[in-house]
Amino acid sequence: MTSEALYHEALLRLARAAAGAARLDAPRRSARRDNPLCGDDVTVDVRVRAGRIEAAGHRVRGCVLCQAAATVLSGVAPGRSADEIALARGALAGMLRAGGPAPASPWEEFAVFLPVRDVPSRHACVLLPFDALLDALARAED
Amino acid sequence: MTRDVLARLLADLAAKRPAVLATDLASGEARLLHPSDPEPGGDPALLAAAREAAARDESARVEVAGATFFLRVFSPPVRVIVVGAVHIAQSLARMVQLAGYEAIVVDPRRAFATEARFEGIPLVQEWPDEALARLGLDRRTALVTMTHDPKIDDPALAAALRSDAFYVGALGSRKTQAARRERLRAQGFSDPALSRIHGPVGLPIGARSPGEIAVSILSQIVGALRGAPGSERAGA
Repeated sequence: MTSEALYHEALLRLARAAAGAARLDAPRRSARRDNPLCGDDVTVDVRVRAGRIEAAGHRVRGCVLCQAAATVLSGVAPGRSADEIALARGALAGMLRAGGPAPASPWEEFAVFLPVRDVPSRHACVLLPFDALLDALARAED
Repeated sequence: MTRDVLARLLADLAAKRPAVLATDLASGEARLLHPSDPEPGGDPALLAAAREAAARDESARVEVAGATFFLRVFSPPVRVIVVGAVHIAQSLARMVQLAGYEAIVVDPRRAFATEARFEGIPLVQEWPDEALARLGLDRRTALVTMTHDPKIDDPALAAALRSDAFYVGALGSRKTQAARRERLRAQGFSDPALSRIHGPVGLPIGARSPGEIAVSILSQIVGALRGAPGSERAGA
């Protein structure tokens, strides 16, 4: 696969948009994850009210794929529960690893990562923000 | 030298602060000067001479206002910061230490920057811009990037170009260097600034193996440090 096909325009736009790319003020739950093979480093903050995410923020040091995934996730996460996040992560992993369909609404924007299917070494870059968010949701507020 | 001056000199050495010990050869009285961070009230002419000696990294005998001083320069160790815990870095970091310099390897990829691969070498598992801001790049520092990954190499080079580092090198082919220059130019670096980057890196000695490439890079660093003729950038 060419790098143009992998890093297509919609994906680059998302990485540049960096929506939600700011840390939240306390009170919040935070978690940090890194990818030891490529250096991606994601910190995710969430504020939760009545079992649902009220606000999400993130900070990414990493590749375009990781930045774009964090942007999409921070955009869709508010209003969701931890279970919904875990299901969406499963659907995204299935799309990348098992050739499954793109996740259903409201997660359909993750279809921009379809070309990453063919590059197994980069699946972790897309999933890393989800993993950090799930870690954060499992934590107590600070 | 009084006990007090000795104690302060030892503290400077421990803190890696450049210092010049100025001894009045007539009286034997010694005082400690800090060229980069001078104390108020010192003799400006003596300080200027000390600053010059420190910049040359050479002790000297000088005449100041009718008195003769011996200026003994104590420079902090030369540091070579290697960005990218790759195969060549393993050889280069050890050679840097054997040359009497301090080696530091920076790589946020924990799978590469491991103790097992870099025994006895200080490792920093952080993104280069954060790591370098903390380490501080001064005129006694050389920096070489080796990851071949722009997201890691580029911020390191940007930090180095904004600093007084005496040597900046980037591993990569001519084609890679051209693409890198374009990216850094887009970040606002001028051609004169970009010409500080040694790339393709190292002296042209026909190096092939990782160890040989490390020799060629270290030779170029020594040449830049000592101002050797012929150690200028390739193509510059």
